[in-house]
Formats: sequence, C-alpha cells, structure tokens
Amino acid sequence: MELSSYINEIIRPKIQGDGGEIEYVGETGDTVSVIFRGECSKCLILDRCVRWIEAEIQRETGKTVTVSYERKKPFFWDFA
Amino acid sequence: MAHIKVTRRSMRPEEYVSLRFGWLKRLIVAESREIDTFVIKDARQIGENEYEFYPGDYRPLKKGDLYYTPDGSVFINATAKIPAAWRGREVWFSLKTASEMVVKINGTYVGGVDPNRDRILISPYVDTDELFIEIYGYNRSKPDDERNPESLSVRGCRQIFEGGYLCVLDNDVLSLYYDVELILDAALSGAFDEDFSAMAIKELDAALDLIDFDDVKHADIIKAADCINDRIYENKTYKSSGNVALIGHSHLDLAYYWRRIHTIEKNLRTVLIQLRLMDRYPDFKYAHTQPYTYETLEKYYPEVFAELKEKIARGSFEPVGVMYVEPDCNIPAAESLVRQCLYGQRYYRDAFGITVDNCWLPDVFGNSWILPQILKKSGVNYFVSNKMSTWNDTNRFPHNNFIWRGIDGSEVYACVPPTHFISWNTPSQIKENWDAFEDKNTGGATMQMFGYGDGGSGCTEEMIELMHRFDKLSVMPRTGHTTGKEFLHKNFDGNHDLAVWDGELYLEMHRGTFTTKSCLKRMNRKLEFMFRDAELLSTLRMLQGKTYPAQKLRKLYKLFLINQFHDILPGSHITPVFRDAVKDLEQIEAALEDMINNGDTYVNTLNFPRTEPVFVFSDGASVRHGARGRYCTVSPNVLGTVALYCDTGTDWFTCSENTVITPYYTAKMNADGSFASLYDAQADREWVSGDFNKLRIYGDHPGNYDAWDILPDYEDTQIEIAVAEPLSFVQADGEVAEFAVTLQTEKSVWKRMIRFFRHSRGIEVENIVDWHEKHKLAKAIFDVNVLSRELICDTSAGYIQRETHRNTTWQQARFEVCHHKWCDMAESGGGVALINEGKYGVGAKDSTMSLSLLRATVRPDPTADMGAHDFCYMIYPHTGDFLENEINKKAFEYNVPLAKTDAAALGSLPFALPENLYLQAVKRAEDDNMIVLRLSEQDGRRGSFTPGQKVKLLNLIEDVTGEAETIRYAPFEIITIGIDKETVL
Repeated sequence: MELSSYINEIIRPKIQGDGGEIEYVGETGDTVSVIFRGECSKCLILDRCVRWIEAEIQRETGKTVTVSYERKKPFFWDFA
Repeated sequence: MAHIKVTRRSMRPEEYVSLRFGWLKRLIVAESREIDTFVIKDARQIGENEYEFYPGDYRPLKKGDLYYTPDGSVFINATAKIPAAWRGREVWFSLKTASEMVVKINGTYVGGVDPNRDRILISPYVDTDELFIEIYGYNRSKPDDERNPESLSVRGCRQIFEGGYLCVLDNDVLSLYYDVELILDAALSGAFDEDFSAMAIKELDAALDLIDFDDVKHADIIKAADCINDRIYENKTYKSSGNVALIGHSHLDLAYYWRRIHTIEKNLRTVLIQLRLMDRYPDFKYAHTQPYTYETLEKYYPEVFAELKEKIARGSFEPVGVMYVEPDCNIPAAESLVRQCLYGQRYYRDAFGITVDNCWLPDVFGNSWILPQILKKSGVNYFVSNKMSTWNDTNRFPHNNFIWRGIDGSEVYACVPPTHFISWNTPSQIKENWDAFEDKNTGGATMQMFGYGDGGSGCTEEMIELMHRFDKLSVMPRTGHTTGKEFLHKNFDGNHDLAVWDGELYLEMHRGTFTTKSCLKRMNRKLEFMFRDAELLSTLRMLQGKTYPAQKLRKLYKLFLINQFHDILPGSHITPVFRDAVKDLEQIEAALEDMINNGDTYVNTLNFPRTEPVFVFSDGASVRHGARGRYCTVSPNVLGTVALYCDTGTDWFTCSENTVITPYYTAKMNADGSFASLYDAQADREWVSGDFNKLRIYGDHPGNYDAWDILPDYEDTQIEIAVAEPLSFVQADGEVAEFAVTLQTEKSVWKRMIRFFRHSRGIEVENIVDWHEKHKLAKAIFDVNVLSRELICDTSAGYIQRETHRNTTWQQARFEVCHHKWCDMAESGGGVALINEGKYGVGAKDSTMSLSLLRATVRPDPTADMGAHDFCYMIYPHTGDFLENEINKKAFEYNVPLAKTDAAALGSLPFALPENLYLQAVKRAEDDNMIVLRLSEQDGRRGSFTPGQKVKLLNLIEDVTGEAETIRYAPFEIITIGIDKETVL
C-alpha cells in the first residue's frame, strides 16, 4: 500500500474520530510530510501520536519512516 | 515622571490557605495498594458495542506506559486482593485518567472514572477479597472543555497510564477537605460580601494553622474541623437572600466530538455513576433526559437498567424531557417535533408507567414559536431551556420563570434558568444564579442544574458533599435539593404573577446552524415529506387490506429523530458524525422510497390541487438535481392519481441579448444571473430595486464557535466572483426555458440554472456548486421593490412576522433568522416570496432579503461543506399578499414531488378533508388500527369542517380526548383526529 493511501484511508479516519485532521503532503526519502489540522493543531501531546503513526506504518506496511509534520491552526486558535 | 507599579510578591493569606488546601487533598488517601496485574487490549469502536481489535493478545500495562490510540477504546483487566487488614472498612478503586472508563468487579458494574472523578467505592458491591477487575475505556471527552482545566493539559490520543490502586480513605480529612473547599470558593469568588470573605480567609487560616503539615496528626485534623465549625459555620453574622433549587443533571450530547455509537458507553457511565451516588447518598436526586438513552441502556445493559427502574420507583432517578432526543428546535418541522413527543412519551409510559409533563432542552439553539402548542398537546405543561439566558450576544433575556405563549395562543410554563446547565454546585455559582435571577418577585425559586455534562458524567460525590454543607454557611442563599418535577410544580402551578413571553425564543447566537452542513438540512426537509407520503400511502394500502408496516416505520422515524439531535442537524460536530448522519439518512431515504415510489402511476399526495409545474423523471431535455426529466402541469386531483400535461412549442417566450420575455415577465438579466429588472406584465410593476438574485460570498469569521455562529459584521468583506461563462440560453420546451451561467472564485465553481415557466409565476434557480472556500458565507441577495418593514417566514405550522428595521437591539440581534419552506417580503398589493427546498437561514434588512446558501467552517469539522452541492430555490413574485396567493401551498408543492406508486392498490380516504387545512400526517395509530389524521391550520384563520362521520379527537400522543362530528379550529391550530379502521372498511 502506498503511504499516501495508508495515511488517507487508514490513519485519517482515526484521527478524525478525535476531531483532528491529517493531510498527506509528500515523501522525501524516508521522511513523510503531513499537516495536522483541527484538534491536532493544538494538541499538547501530538508528538506521542506522531510516534504511534510511525509505528503503525512500520507494523502495517513494513516501511520505516519518520513523520515530519506542520500544524495549521485555525485563525481563532492562533493566539492561544 | 516614571511610574512604578507596586506589586506584592510575598504570599497573601488566601494563597497560603489555597496551598494548604492542596496539601490536604494529598492526605485523603490513608492507605493504598498498587495493582500491578493490569493487562490491556487496544480496540476501535465500529458499531454499537462492536469493536475491531488491534493485533495481539492482552499485553501487560504498567504505570508510565502509553495507552490508547487515536479514536481508540481499551479493554483492561486485572486481578487484585483486598488486604485482610482492611476488612470492615470502605475500600475504593482508584485510577486517575483523562479518558472515560466503566468498571466491573467480579461481574458487577461498580462505577465509572473519568476526568471528573478518579475513585469508586467498591466494598458494598463485592463479597470477597479476591477481585477480578474489568475496565472498558474510551478516550474521548469534550476537547475544549474549560470547565475542568486539569484534564485539558492531558488531553490527547495517547495517554500515560498513571496506575490503578485499591485504597482506604481518611474520612475526617475528606470531610475537612470539603469544608475548606466550600468556604474557600465562597471567599475567593467575589460573589459574596467582602467582609465575609475577609472573615472566612482569616478563620480558615487559623484552622489550618492547627495542622502541622510536616507531621500531620489525626487529632489536629479534628481540631481544624472544629475550628471551622465554631468560627465560620456558627458565625451567622453574614446573611444573603435567595431561594435556589438544586437539580442534579448531566447534559449528554448524543453525538458531537464523538459518534452516536460512543454515547452508548457515555450514557451507561453517566447513569451508573448517579446510581452509585444514590446508593451512598439516599437523599440525592438526579434528572436524566432522552428516552433514546434509556432504550440503549435497556438493550445493552439490562442489569443496570433494572437498578435504574428501582431508583425511578424510589423517586431518586427522575426521567425528564418528553422528547425522544433533545432535538434542534429551529429546523425540524412540526410533525418531527410531534414525533419526538409521541415516541418519547410512549417510551416513558411503556418502560416506567409514567407520563412526563416537562420538556427539558437545556442546550438547544433557540426554540420555535410552534413549540408551546405541540408540548401542550403532548401532555406537557412545563418547558426548560437554558441557552437564551446565558448565551445571548446582544440582549439579556428578560425572564427566567415565565409563561411562554405560542403561535396559536397555547401557553406553557417556561423556565430559562439564569446560569449554565453545567455547573459543579459551588457557593459562588449558586449565588451567581440568584443574583442573575430576573423574576425574584414573581417566580419563586430559581433553578440551578449541577453536574458535569456535554459528554455525560454528571454529579460527583464532591458536589453532594458541598450541598450537604450549604445550610451551615449563613451567607449562602437558601437552597433545596429537589427533582425537576417538584421544582416546576411548586414554583409555577397557580402562579398568577408570572410574566408572559409571546413569541419565539430566539437565541442571539448560533445563527450559522441554520446553514452549516447544507446537505443535512436538505435531506432533513426531503425526508420529513417522504415520511408523510410513506405513512399516507401505507394507510391507503391498509384500507385495501394490506399490512401497515408499523414497526418498520417507527424504527425509521426514530432513527430520523436521532439525527435531528441538536449537534447533528445543526452541523456542529466532527467529520465521522457527519458521515454517520448521511449514512443514516440515505438508509431512511431508500426504505421510504420503496414505500412511496413503487409503481407507475403519478399520485398527488397533497390535500389540495396542484397549480404549479412539477418535474418528473423522463427522457426530457431538462436536468434537475442531476436527473433527466421534464416539467409538466397536472390535473387538479387531490390525494389521488393525476394526469400530466406537457405543452409543446417554444413560442411562449422570447429571449434576445439580455432580455427574456415570458407570459408573466420581461426580465433583463445580468451576465452573472442576477436580474437588472423584473417587470411584471400582469401587475404592471417592477420587482427589482437593486441586487436581485445576486450571489455574494462574504467573509465569515465567527471565531471559536465557527460552525455555530454568524456575526453581524459578515457583510464587511466579500470576495470577488468572476463570470466564467456568462448567462446564456440552454434549452426550452413547451413548459420551461432554461438559462445557465457559470461563476467562479479562486477556489470554487458555481453554476446557476435559471428557469422561467410558461404556467407559473415562479422562477427557479438551481445552484450546482463545487465549493472549496474557507471561512465564507454565500448568500443570494434580493433587493425587492416594495416598501416593507417585515419579513414573513414560514414556521412549518403557521407564519411569523419579523421586523426588518434596526430600531432597537432586539431587531439588530435578529439579523439572521430561521425560516422553513418560504419567506416573503411584501407591501399592500404585492411582494416577492422565496421558496426553498432545504435552506433555513435568511437575513432581512429594510426591503432586502438574503437567503443563506452555503458556509465553509473548520471547527468542529475541518472538512465541513466542502465539495459538491446541488440545490434549488424559487423566486415567486406575486400580487396581493402571501395568503391570497397561497404561497404556503406553492411551497408545499415545491417540496412534495408527485409520488409514482402502485395506484391500483390504493383506495382513497373515506372522509372529506378541507383544502384550507394542511394534511400534516396520516398514519395508523401506535396502539391499534385506528387511522390518525393530523391537520394543521397555517393561515391564521378560524373555521370548522365536517368529516362526514363522528371522529375521535386525539392529542398528539394519541390519547382520545373526545368525539365530534363537526370540528372547529382556531388560527394555527394543529388538530388530530382518529377514525376506527373498522368503520371505514
């Protein structure tokens, strides 16, 4: 399974279940870039979730990757 | 001259008291034993009590381990043994978590832990020292819940397990802890007299000075408690007035930041916690709403439900709220609200043998004017709803305990408590409630609900312990713990001093919920009418000897009503909730479609002749909502088969350059599909005064309540809309001439089909949109050439007139209102109506209407409303007023397509129905074969009709209230009659 499909079809619905949003951006080498929105964008412990995503990718696709991420907060949380 | 601000850096007495209050908390647990046998299995919930599990068996779970996954559930087990030395003492299970857990020990549900409580008393529920602990956990709470700041800091998908313990408590420390908490809250809140606060801090300081926190002796705890009793509780110098009724309650959103499937557990945990509190505190009473939640408990947790029934019989657990769920009360039509009462009330009767006489909707976003009549005729005399007092952004709602008069003049007692429905029963919150209570001289006591909510959870031991101390604190208002029913009867019955509020209960906030998630609104409207047709046609088939699908229809209706919940239909929920709702609604639609459109014969299911063109699927040249077909007119049959007529030829209209001439109009069109002029040939007048059918897309930045709110400043910014393909002629036949225009923004494409008709004054606009905006509000603007100061809006059971000027803050606040099928702006002699098929938000100022079409919000759902949309509305200029021109009937025609059904199996209704009443529902009675008809007067007229036989008069929950041969009705009255099936066969 392509990483983009795995993130969009397997990971994303789970993230959305917590009010979050993950958007696949691209891959460079072993690094996968994503954007977090919604509740993820202000999560104080997002790093733990990112490590879990890396572990799930390894477990389910056999690929060892590093997830690089950017948070995009809505404007009304930007001052928070 | 430089100014130096003097800042005190040394510790204040109140800070030292607060510090020691925290130290005291650490002393509550006298002894504890860590449980080190936990094992865990990760899962994800995919249905009601249905899970998919991550690979692998149970794994050990140790303190410090990460647990939970995104959208995750866990199953945790452990064994433990109560130390022999603790025999005879109260033993607790303790587990601190940001998640929600239901705990069973040795097969018995002992309670729940969540961010609001971290221990469960287990000794009364186990009869052995050997324990087998089973925990179901779900990692979801309201993510922005500022009410419990401690839990905010640990919120997230991956949690750290903080260990589980068996423990015994030092009850003297615990009691002292509650004493200090009570007094500290009162002293620091600023809600009470400052002299009291100074005294309280001084004496608390003195009491805590009796404890050496480096070497705590139990005797000093007792001395400190005695000191508080002698020097604070016994000091009756400080008084305040007030009369506050305390009602335990937990608000439970069926879906919001969680899916409906998760609410099964949330409800179990909430109910279970209250039952356990009732075991410990026999005086504790709690009110719980929504028959649907009782149904799920009965279905999945029969042993807890059996306990619940005992507590209801004892009077501790109180079912409140007649409605099946707590629905939105703006968008659902009258018949939907009737069914909320019918199915809710029937469940309470069947399950508990009670008829609930109140409607309990603390969180809904305003309440339609049609509600009082529906409630009154459903056995309800009392209405409770909080939001108007606490959330209005402009005006303070002037009453808390009052009489609410509905559109037809029906009256119910109404309680809009002065403060939030979620509170934790502190002195300051109670004082705040009393201070804000606006009916001190007429309303009796004020209502204060206490308990955590939104995701359930409810009351805590702490809240009850504080409550037991209120009488000791003379500065507190007088309080009494009571049930909802007792409060309502005591303060309202026979109270002739209550003020009357005659009108809708408009919430001056959350105006965006009329529009957000456009697709749900459209499906809601469509299905409301499909239910009508399915029940009507099923009744006609029953009269021909076929079986009425009562169980199937009831099940579908209940699923539909759940989806009218006030965080589902309004659109204020996360992505998976939207997916669930669409799936449910599509399932309902398919089932109803099978009951309605299952033949080849066209049937008019309305109880009046159709005068407007209909669109039928065929190989015609028109495409509407993506389906090919053609427009026709129909024969004037009522509740029966109709013939279709399609004129031929296209010489009935002309178009040249930008001008279209039809039998009704000469329209000068702009390239973007708006009208430069709409000259009415028959009325000899112009309808356009400025923008008319002009699409405008505004900046829409309401802030944190993104999906909920539209702010009055939305008009300040707009984005440019380019004309990608200017308006051009598409095709015409003997009934319709179609024009198309394609507009676009940087991100979206908006195609408009504009249809002129040969046999109708209506002009239809279909909008086919690929929508990818962010923080935008799309509206269609209509500057109407009339002198008008009011907007007439359909409510689904009559009309409401709303002023369009901005004279006072009350009109200013209503810049965006809810309407149903139509709105109308007119002067004597004529006006323009806008008829829609699922748009509920409309703005009006002076002589301009703005129909809200689409929003683009990002919270709670970052994907909200993105993608494809296809919706229509009809512009309907008319002479005379909306009543003379029967705009309401035209709106029904627009929303109720012809049924294409097995007419051979149909009979006809064996009694005469007046055409000036709208046939709202025809169904089989819930209990027997009686045929139930619901008629609604919607024009504000009085009259009578004779069905041709003696009929039973029913209320809305199908109780027989009398018999009549002639039925007299009043303006806006909803009439329900029953006819025995046997008498008509």
